[in-house]
Amino acid sequence: MQIKVKLYASLRRQKFDEADWEITPDQKIASIVEQLGLARQDVGTVLVNGLHAGWDETVAEGDIVSLLPRMGGG
Amino acid sequence: MSEKNISTNPASVVYKRCTVDLASGTTTFAQVPCKNLEDVLGGFGRSFQVLAERDIVEAYCPENPVILNTGLLTGTSIMTGMRSYFSGYSPLKKSGTGRPGAMWSTGSGNFGNKFKWTGLDEVIFENRSDKPVYALLKEGANGPEVELKPADHLIGLTGHAKIMALYQEYPEAHFAAIGPAGENWENNYMGAVVMSTDNELKSGEPKSRFAGRGGMGSLMGYKNLLAVVALSSDKLQKITPEIRDVNRDILKSGGSARFQPASQGGGGGTWANIEVLQVFHAVPLNNFRPKGNTDVERLFRDEVEKEFDIATEACHRCGIRCHNNLFYKNEDGSRGKLAAKFDFEPLILFGSNLGVHEPAKVCDLIHRCDLLGMDAISLGTTISYVLDYNERHPDKPLFNGATFGDYDKITELIEDAGRGKLPGIARGVKRLSEETGETAYAMHVKGLELPAYLPDTNPGYMFAIAGGHMSMGTHMMLAKEGKHSLDEWTQAITTGGLLQVGYDMIGLCKFVGVGIGHDIIVRALKEAAGIEIASEDILAAVRRAYLRGLALELRQGFHEEKEYTLPSQVMDDPNPEVTLPKFITNEFLGELRQRVWSVFKPEMEGLLPVRGE
Repeated sequence: MQIKVKLYASLRRQKFDEADWEITPDQKIASIVEQLGLARQDVGTVLVNGLHAGWDETVAEGDIVSLLPRMGGG
Repeated sequence: MSEKNISTNPASVVYKRCTVDLASGTTTFAQVPCKNLEDVLGGFGRSFQVLAERDIVEAYCPENPVILNTGLLTGTSIMTGMRSYFSGYSPLKKSGTGRPGAMWSTGSGNFGNKFKWTGLDEVIFENRSDKPVYALLKEGANGPEVELKPADHLIGLTGHAKIMALYQEYPEAHFAAIGPAGENWENNYMGAVVMSTDNELKSGEPKSRFAGRGGMGSLMGYKNLLAVVALSSDKLQKITPEIRDVNRDILKSGGSARFQPASQGGGGGTWANIEVLQVFHAVPLNNFRPKGNTDVERLFRDEVEKEFDIATEACHRCGIRCHNNLFYKNEDGSRGKLAAKFDFEPLILFGSNLGVHEPAKVCDLIHRCDLLGMDAISLGTTISYVLDYNERHPDKPLFNGATFGDYDKITELIEDAGRGKLPGIARGVKRLSEETGETAYAMHVKGLELPAYLPDTNPGYMFAIAGGHMSMGTHMMLAKEGKHSLDEWTQAITTGGLLQVGYDMIGLCKFVGVGIGHDIIVRALKEAAGIEIASEDILAAVRRAYLRGLALELRQGFHEEKEYTLPSQVMDDPNPEVTLPKFITNEFLGELRQRVWSVFKPEMEGLLPVRGE
């Protein structure tokens, strides 16, 4: 099935801004990140349709998965 | 500092203190045994114990000291181990009773190393000089020596120019100086301490570092102490295999990766936060009131790169290389002169939050603030209030009538504030908003202006003891994790969030990026300082130091309900443009306060010394 993946900041610069992405049903977010060729430790926040999501969650056809890098400051 | 196993006997560790009476010019040296583990770790953990012994009702009084000290790892070969700390009762942080709050501020550069290498761990500047002076700290044949020298030739110079003038006299030294803001202490409470870097001294460019928060530079100005010179030979610690491993782990552990150069696969420093927070329309705009538009995207790195040459640079021997210095491009494409250092806070607080979106103009505003030696957070946030007020009252504006985006008039405000001509701005947003009577959108907590993270996303600000994100590490929790329940926020504030202050004890920079009880920290203390402290003991000491600071706030009169709150606009007029959960209501804050105090208060018992003992 197809989802849309959006990448931000350093992740965007590594790969792409936005792309349609083929995944298998029941594929977990952690696996999608791996499939994208991103290091899990580089990803700080995952949003599915704008809402925070966990590594073990799955997504549905047409969902928008946004991956944000780790944030820091202080 | 002696090297001992101190787990049960902190007094076996002694540190070298010099007390300088600025009024008489006398100096007194002492070997001080540590009272507890907080003393051993250093930084504010030690200085706040000195401050807590004093009854200070007014920041500008002879009895309020400026304490300069280091952390246990300052001057070692552990990466980022170069912090120095300036502590005192703040002219800016003020309770409802009028009493000042205790503060510390810290920065890197190479000043901390040179200071440590003089053989001193702490200098307490008492009273005030009747003439402008600078303090020369140097290593002598029989130990450290301290002298006060006339500083008339430094009067009126920018912080950077003071540093460069002193560098001509002391080419082997490093420097901490105040700018015109600190000199105008009566009318400017937000003066920073400007600290030199190797890069600055070699290039002559103003690449200083700043201990900005809380007006420690203004307090130095009150004391007529214009600069501190640390003159010592370099005592670079041998990098043993164990220290090498610690430094490698700092770079590779992932915690620091987000601050490392984008060109090397890192996150590109705090600048990257702007793009991440924009996903939620949570980047401060027009006085912390995002409009849900794309204005801030002009300040994304890719956009700025079109106009400027960006160089990633570093503090002394630091591999994290978090500085993003912007240089103008010459017509032939080569690198021109330095424009500014772009970090998240000044970038936002002098950019989108003032309605200024052109990178070159933002650079100029940052540059002016830095040269005048002011805290970018306090100044930027106070000016954004002025612009907001003026937009609401076009018929009766404040000062020169500047409004959002009015670069020329904002420039005037910065220049005049820095030179003591605009006390209404330079005494901070709390005082200004109390004068106008419009406090709802004055973005401060306990008199300290908020950094560039929306208060709508961080109730943890209430319990920061030293200025927003500096001392409560919850400023990005909502954006990162989406957590917004009472249980989650109580947990965050009372456990992990407060541990942010640990780095302000041990001499390392927060950009090491691991928890203060992490194995990397334990190993660093063991290998570089020769002191074995178990992780749980470090955590307990950091917690006590934080809670002592909180207890000191209450003793200085901060009201445990009325002043542990957020700007009321957050609760009364939530911003519909921010796409993160809107969970901060008066009821939520009331319940959160009650839960947090119920955890903290029993632990705060007995942490403050009884005065006079």
